[in-house]
Amino acid sequence: MEKTVEVSHVSKSFNSQSVVKDISFDIAQGEIFGLIGPNGAGKTTIIRMLLDIIRPDSGEIKILSSGQPEETKDMIGYLPEERGLYRRLTVIDSLVYLGALKNKQSKTKALELLERMEMLQHKDKKLSELSKGMQQKIQLIAAICHDPQLIILDEPFSGLDPVNMKLVKEMILELGKEGKTILISTHMMDQVERMCGRIFMMHRGGGVLYGSVTEIKSRFGKNTVFLEFEGELKNIPGVKKSNISGNYAELILEDRADTQEVLKAIARDARISRFEVSSPSLNEIFIKVVEE
Amino acid sequence: MTKWITIAKHEFAYNVLRKEFLFVTFGLPLFMLLIIGLPVLLTASSIGNQDITIGYVDKTGNFEGNFTNYPGEDLAKKDLIDGKITHFFVIPADYGTTGKIEIFSAKKLSMSTRAIEGEIKGFLLDNLLKGDNKEKVERVKNPIKSEYFTLNENGESGKDDLSGLLISIAFAFFFMLSIFTSSNFLLQGVVEEKENRVMEILLSSVSHRELLTGKVFGLGAVGLTQVFIWQSLGIAILSSGPVALLLKSISISIPLLIFASGYFILGYLVFACIMAGIGAVATTSREGQQIAGIFTMIGAMPLIISQLILSKPDSIISMIFSYFPLTSPITMIMRISTGNVKYYEVVMSLIILTVSILVIIELSVKIFRASLLMYGKKPTISELIKYVR
Repeated sequence: MEKTVEVSHVSKSFNSQSVVKDISFDIAQGEIFGLIGPNGAGKTTIIRMLLDIIRPDSGEIKILSSGQPEETKDMIGYLPEERGLYRRLTVIDSLVYLGALKNKQSKTKALELLERMEMLQHKDKKLSELSKGMQQKIQLIAAICHDPQLIILDEPFSGLDPVNMKLVKEMILELGKEGKTILISTHMMDQVERMCGRIFMMHRGGGVLYGSVTEIKSRFGKNTVFLEFEGELKNIPGVKKSNISGNYAELILEDRADTQEVLKAIARDARISRFEVSSPSLNEIFIKVVEE
Repeated sequence: MTKWITIAKHEFAYNVLRKEFLFVTFGLPLFMLLIIGLPVLLTASSIGNQDITIGYVDKTGNFEGNFTNYPGEDLAKKDLIDGKITHFFVIPADYGTTGKIEIFSAKKLSMSTRAIEGEIKGFLLDNLLKGDNKEKVERVKNPIKSEYFTLNENGESGKDDLSGLLISIAFAFFFMLSIFTSSNFLLQGVVEEKENRVMEILLSSVSHRELLTGKVFGLGAVGLTQVFIWQSLGIAILSSGPVALLLKSISISIPLLIFASGYFILGYLVFACIMAGIGAVATTSREGQQIAGIFTMIGAMPLIISQLILSKPDSIISMIFSYFPLTSPITMIMRISTGNVKYYEVVMSLIILTVSILVIIELSVKIFRASLLMYGKKPTISELIKYVR
């Protein structure tokens, strides 16, 4: 399959502090790809290098099979982590201007997307009059308005309420179905677990995991129990580690623990409403990888 | 490659409609007009309304004329206080040897003193030169009407007038004004977008060079618009008043005007590119303005040493000022307007200006690229040198 993004052996340092260390990964055409890792892992630096806002110290980046950033900028849509729009400009004027800079000015498309995002009635308002979540949606529209081949979304879910979160997720999945290549960068690893086919996981500037989500998960085995319960969890034999939040818990089992024994042990003191044996979450995998 | 035009257009439209821009553009001249114009208007009207009637007391017995003659000071004083006359003067007996004249008025010294003295002088001269013919009297009153000629290398003489000097002064004034205002716009424009993070979006669509070029031209045009509006207002005001007579006597040579426009635009671009570069480095617009101040000061240097440049155009300092891109626009226009310049010098300085614009844009782009997204941190000089390499 053709590759939309090829990153090979890219390094970058600021003031002799290494921020990205020898990173390599590919993104195939039409793929929804997750670039994940905690804050400060170097995700945004990689994205800025993909966009030719900054240049790598060493290594090579190819976008849409071209090493020339001027040729590809028009075909990329970008939602930056730090939102930025002209505060005194109206919504529609902002979109038209940013579209013009991509050589693809389409007011019709902008209006269509505004309607889709339930923002049409705000089109003549100034950006400064809108709430943070609304501005976020406008920024997303600006990123996809010019019908780009590659869409780069840096923390697309931050600051959104559940309704808008759902709206944005649906939008991303739909764009994926249309054949767009999408790169989602986020520290909320669980958010992308079900959306992305493959991920690249970063920690302190280096890559720690790379591959398809299912493959990575199976590599870590089915050693996790997702549990919903009422009552108390007391030291249960066979559980190595437990993350409890309220009535929900994620239990990581010891290597040869029997899930049936664990279930019995829990049932002694608590009412169980859900008991699911599964692979660990990406969060848990990340912690495990980093601890090793 | 037309994206920079889109940016320039946007920057122009976005900034020209700013409240601050409109306020400064139209508010400042109005304010200046009030400050300068009101006192002038008030005094002018007070002089105009009041007729001058002059009396005199002659102790020599030799003077006569169309002023009221008083036999003694007491009578004259009485009339002055009663308001029958506005001034009177006393010609003492020893006037012939001392030339002393005492002038009395009911008001303290005002702006009309010169006019009064002129009247009295005319009166005295008429009397002193009694018997001489009218022409001679006129010549004594006004002995010199000057016209200057300068010989150039070929021994040809050209008539000198003030217009050349006036044009170079006007040029320097508007040049500095444009640089001050535009540098403000450029710095604010770049720093603001850095602060509100629009920069990142823009750079995902255009190259650093396109962004910088667009900003230099767009925001530069904003500054020029402001200067143009001020200039037009200024000319409108001047041509309606007595200054109009002075302006009419100035003959503006077309070649000088062409050179002036050329130097203006090139010099302006040099500064604009520098300002954009400073904007990229500065973390706040105040900090940017401090750095920018150094450059604008250098730009104003030729005005300070104009005497030297005009009298010794071949000195090393004059040469440096003629070719150094920050100082060459004003220096060269001063020299062209007064005629002491060689053609190859003009060509050289224009080439240097053009080349330095390209070099400065290139350097600014490099600095821009390297330091733009290092929010809240100003690079050190050594880091800057590293970026430029």
